[in-house]
Amino acid sequence: MAAPGPGEYFSVGSSVSCLTCLGQRLQGEVVAFDYQTKMLTLKCASSSGKPNLSDVILVNLAYVSEVEIINDRTETPPPLASLNVGKLASRARTEKEDKLSQAYAISAGVSVEGQQLFQTIHKTIKDCKWQEKNIIVMDDVVISPPYQVENCKGKEGSALSHIRKIVEKHFKDVESQKSMQRSQAQQTQKDSSLSS
Amino acid sequence: MSMKQAGGNRKPGGINSGAAAASGAAGFGRQSLGRGRNSAKVPSAAVAFSGVYANMQMVHVLTSVVGNKCELKVKNGVIYEGVFKTYGPECDLVLDAAHRKSPEPSVGPRREDIIESIIFKSSDVVVVHFKDVDLNYAKKVSSEQDNFTDNAVSSRLNGEHKEKDLEPWDGGEQHASGSLESLDNDLSNGWDPDDMFKYNEETYGVKSTYDSSLSSYTVPLERDNSEEFLKREARAAQLAEEIEGSASYKARVALENDERSEEEKYTAVVRDSHTLNRENKYIPPGQRNREAGMSWGAGRQNSPRLVQCSPGPPAPRAGPHDYGTIPGVDQRVVNGGPPRMSPKSQRTPRTHRVASCRGGGPSGADFMSQGASGEVTAPPPARSSPSGGTWSSVVSGAHRPRSPRQNSMGGAPPVPSSLSSPQAGTVPVDSMTTPTSATSPTSASPSPNLAEAKESRIQETRQNSPSANKENVKPMESSSGISRLASKGPPSMTPDHRKQLDNLKKFSVDFRLQSSSNPDPVFETMVSKAPRDPGEKPKEQATDKSTTDATESSICDEVPVTLVATAAGSKPSTPSPSPSSAFGTVSEQKRGPDVTSQGVQTSSPAVTSTLKLDKDDKEDKKDPVPESVRKSTLNPNAKEFNPRPFCSPPKPATTPTLPRPQGQPSPSIVVQQPAVYGQHVCFPQMYPLTPVSPGVQKSIIWKSPAMYHVPVPHMTLSQSKPYRTGKVPNMPQQRPDQHHQPGTSTMMHPNTAAGPHIVAPNPAYSTQYFTCSPQQFASQPLVQQMPHYQSQAQHVFSPVMQGSPRMITPPTHGQPSLVSSSTTQYGEQTHTMYVSAPIHQQYPHPSATLHHHPQHPQPSATPTGQAQQGTQHGGSHPAPSPVQHSQHQAAAAAAAAQALHLGNPSQQQMYSALAPTPPSMTPGPNPQSPQASFPSAQQAVYIHPSQVQHGYNPNHMAHVQQAHMQSGMVPTHHGTPSHPVMLMAAQPPAGPQPPMPQGTLNPIPVSSTTHFSYMAHPQCKLLVFLLLNIYESKGFNFEQLMICCAR
Repeated sequence: MAAPGPGEYFSVGSSVSCLTCLGQRLQGEVVAFDYQTKMLTLKCASSSGKPNLSDVILVNLAYVSEVEIINDRTETPPPLASLNVGKLASRARTEKEDKLSQAYAISAGVSVEGQQLFQTIHKTIKDCKWQEKNIIVMDDVVISPPYQVENCKGKEGSALSHIRKIVEKHFKDVESQKSMQRSQAQQTQKDSSLSS
Repeated sequence: MSMKQAGGNRKPGGINSGAAAASGAAGFGRQSLGRGRNSAKVPSAAVAFSGVYANMQMVHVLTSVVGNKCELKVKNGVIYEGVFKTYGPECDLVLDAAHRKSPEPSVGPRREDIIESIIFKSSDVVVVHFKDVDLNYAKKVSSEQDNFTDNAVSSRLNGEHKEKDLEPWDGGEQHASGSLESLDNDLSNGWDPDDMFKYNEETYGVKSTYDSSLSSYTVPLERDNSEEFLKREARAAQLAEEIEGSASYKARVALENDERSEEEKYTAVVRDSHTLNRENKYIPPGQRNREAGMSWGAGRQNSPRLVQCSPGPPAPRAGPHDYGTIPGVDQRVVNGGPPRMSPKSQRTPRTHRVASCRGGGPSGADFMSQGASGEVTAPPPARSSPSGGTWSSVVSGAHRPRSPRQNSMGGAPPVPSSLSSPQAGTVPVDSMTTPTSATSPTSASPSPNLAEAKESRIQETRQNSPSANKENVKPMESSSGISRLASKGPPSMTPDHRKQLDNLKKFSVDFRLQSSSNPDPVFETMVSKAPRDPGEKPKEQATDKSTTDATESSICDEVPVTLVATAAGSKPSTPSPSPSSAFGTVSEQKRGPDVTSQGVQTSSPAVTSTLKLDKDDKEDKKDPVPESVRKSTLNPNAKEFNPRPFCSPPKPATTPTLPRPQGQPSPSIVVQQPAVYGQHVCFPQMYPLTPVSPGVQKSIIWKSPAMYHVPVPHMTLSQSKPYRTGKVPNMPQQRPDQHHQPGTSTMMHPNTAAGPHIVAPNPAYSTQYFTCSPQQFASQPLVQQMPHYQSQAQHVFSPVMQGSPRMITPPTHGQPSLVSSSTTQYGEQTHTMYVSAPIHQQYPHPSATLHHHPQHPQPSATPTGQAQQGTQHGGSHPAPSPVQHSQHQAAAAAAAAQALHLGNPSQQQMYSALAPTPPSMTPGPNPQSPQASFPSAQQAVYIHPSQVQHGYNPNHMAHVQQAHMQSGMVPTHHGTPSHPVMLMAAQPPAGPQPPMPQGTLNPIPVSSTTHFSYMAHPQCKLLVFLLLNIYESKGFNFEQLMICCAR
């Protein structure tokens, strides 16, 4: 075990790399470290590649090996900004509700594609709900399995055409995401295999 | 918390102790509930931030990801996915809507797979992966605007890691007109309303119905010289003073009137050209004055009012009244307002107001006349006197009102006469009025303030004249002393006026009988005084003095030595004029009051000197006093304390008879017309005050330490004494009688008398009492408060109490010291007082109380006589120590009562009163006892605690009542212990309920209960009285009190 000794601390801002007991290689910038609980927080580039987002990893150093500091902190970290707790709480609540609603749909036997589509539409149009396995958007458009563009039915108009565009784009994105995930997965596997 | 508590409750239900259950519940909450974490924090909250919570970075980052979905890997490799909810101090993590992630990708969890929330121990967590986190999501952006502050702008590095130098924006040359820049350069203060109306009318044909008088919304204030109006105006001035004197008000005004714009205050950009001309911009009234160089308070007050009279701030002061000596005025004000700068400033403003008001009408004339008189004697002094007079009047106006009230309370008749004569032309003191009228006429024209101002002016003039004279000799003292004196005098006057109205009406006949002789003496005294005060304020002073009554006379007397000395001198003179014991007492009382008032006002060396002189005089008198007459003289000393409150003392001095009736109205009345007067007179002044004061003092002292117990014993003693004295005493005779009465018998009488009185006269009496006490106190620092009290406004009291207390306290302290200083003996007494104070404390203890009681009874007997009339105190002083004690107690009681009534202000007053009482207690036997009253200062210290408590009034009331009850109970009735217990029980509620409403409420019930049990006892009645007074002061319904009484 290469766990840091009692006197060793991670300075905020330095880059650290480690390997978990589960074989996962982690690397990121130290955001916080709590000696008492051996919890280390790292900030990494977003797994989705979005520039303004980042992944945060909370690691228990008790289950980590091969901890190495890639480079030390170069400059003092910026002061901590005050947080809007209310905003965070509401986000937590919303996320939870979304997940529960999604779970509801899943338990209803909806296909993954349908669920994903529902989530996508839901991001744009809040007024959508499940009716059996059909997605009802704005009480106007009904999307029935297998949830393809041609499955969108309703009164001809801007609403229907708009929904179709969303559905069309959704599947495009899904395809591109799948390909990305595959490539990433392959890369990670390679990396892990190489590193290990 | 709620959950935890609930859990805790449940668990306790089992076997665990409450604590164990609670802890267990807390722990349980942590483990079981997601939210439990929050609650879990509570237990650890006491330890501040423990565990992770102490790690700022960790807390920040973990909090930033709250609400994000995350994948949490556990030791065994299982991955849970959920919404990160929160975390515990041990870095336990809570996921909401978590489910065990299946190896199959992108297969959402089923509803049944989702767990509401899961708490993961940090030791079980290997990795938590938050994906796609926006760490800036919850960053607080205070507001959109913040993006445009200099700080926000400069913080936008935009890739540059160096501090951005902000440059002032320059619109360029093209901003000739209609541009933004033109706004800055536009010197006009926006549209004139008339321009707007005109523009709208021309452009849109809209015709405004705007009426600058706002007749549709309000009614123009009709100014008249009626007492009512004057009173109201005075009170308004007082309230304004209070408000404007408050630190919060000043702070707000400072904010409002900060000339710097927001830009100037917060900009990071320095603009050279920022000195925009604001001349034509709107300037808040306060600021306007400010520009004049006035202090805020003064400026504000001055500006508005001054504006009326004259534009410039300085001009207003001087201009309105043509007092070129504005500076002098200010100085005086400062001197006068030594205790509190702000108050002074306020006072000054008030004075200005008064002046302005007066200046608008009669006031100007008054001032002029006064000034003229002052000038006649000594031009320079005259100026100072006038200006000072105005200021002092103003100042005093603030103070005066209080003092006046006090005066009115105690010696309301005289003062009222003077005051009333000018304003309302009080019937009783015609002779008095005449002199006063002379002065008053000028002042009369003004509003109520004018009346006060008149008084103040008179006093001022007196002071001025004395001061002028003195100034010739002692310029410094004269200025300060004068101002103080003036201030003091006026207050007494005002209260007197108020009280006078009622008292005078009632007692006018009686007063006249007495007053007829008194007035003459007064005049004589005045004359004599005038001579004494070489070239003092000749006519005006004489008149003023006559009008001002004892205070003035005292001043005059004191004048020889100093201002204070003049007062002392006047006393001698007064005695001579009032050969009769009554007169002597009155004069003495007056002197005493004056002295005290002066001393208080002056607080400076002059005061002390005066006090000393007075004391010396008193002592001299006292020596002789043993006799009834001398006693009366002694009483004057005692009265000084009480008299001051009464203010009437002054009045009495002017019109000896009147003063007595007024100042001692209750006593005199009682004696003369036991049935009628006894009720009225006795109540207000002596009984309530005396009983209250002792109780108050005790209560106060006790309160601080062990409120309830102590107060009771004292109460009993003091109460019994005061009551007796109050009821029985006729001016001179009463005193001796009282002395003799010291026995329990007196106790009974007072109580009995008080009882009836309490019920009927409540309003008037209460006011009288208050006024008396205030005056007394007023003489001390209380003076300021006094006005409020005088104004009566119960409301006023509360405000005053709150606001003034602080202010007042210092003065009181000063006064006591002064007193002590004045007479070394007194100092001793003060020591004794302290001793007594301890004793009082002991009293609270059952055994102690018993012992004390015996002692007290004697004092009480004498005191009662003294108590009867604030002035009487002086008379009583002459009497042997017992009397003195009694007097002191009575005075203290009265003071206490007043304090109770008044509330905080009263408390301060109480201090003074208390101080006296304690001395009296210990010194009891000594002739100096009158002086003992001075010790009050020391006692004041004790009192302080009580004062500190605003809720005291209620508490005091309760205490007092209880005390009374106890006192009554202990001596005569049952064993003290049981009573104390009763009191204790009752009091505790009151104590806990400092808040006025609650406290009052509780006290009432308590009192009522106590009353019920004790009602039969005179003390109970007294208590009731006190309560009534207090309630009145507080604005409580008399009906309630009545009900209590009835019970």
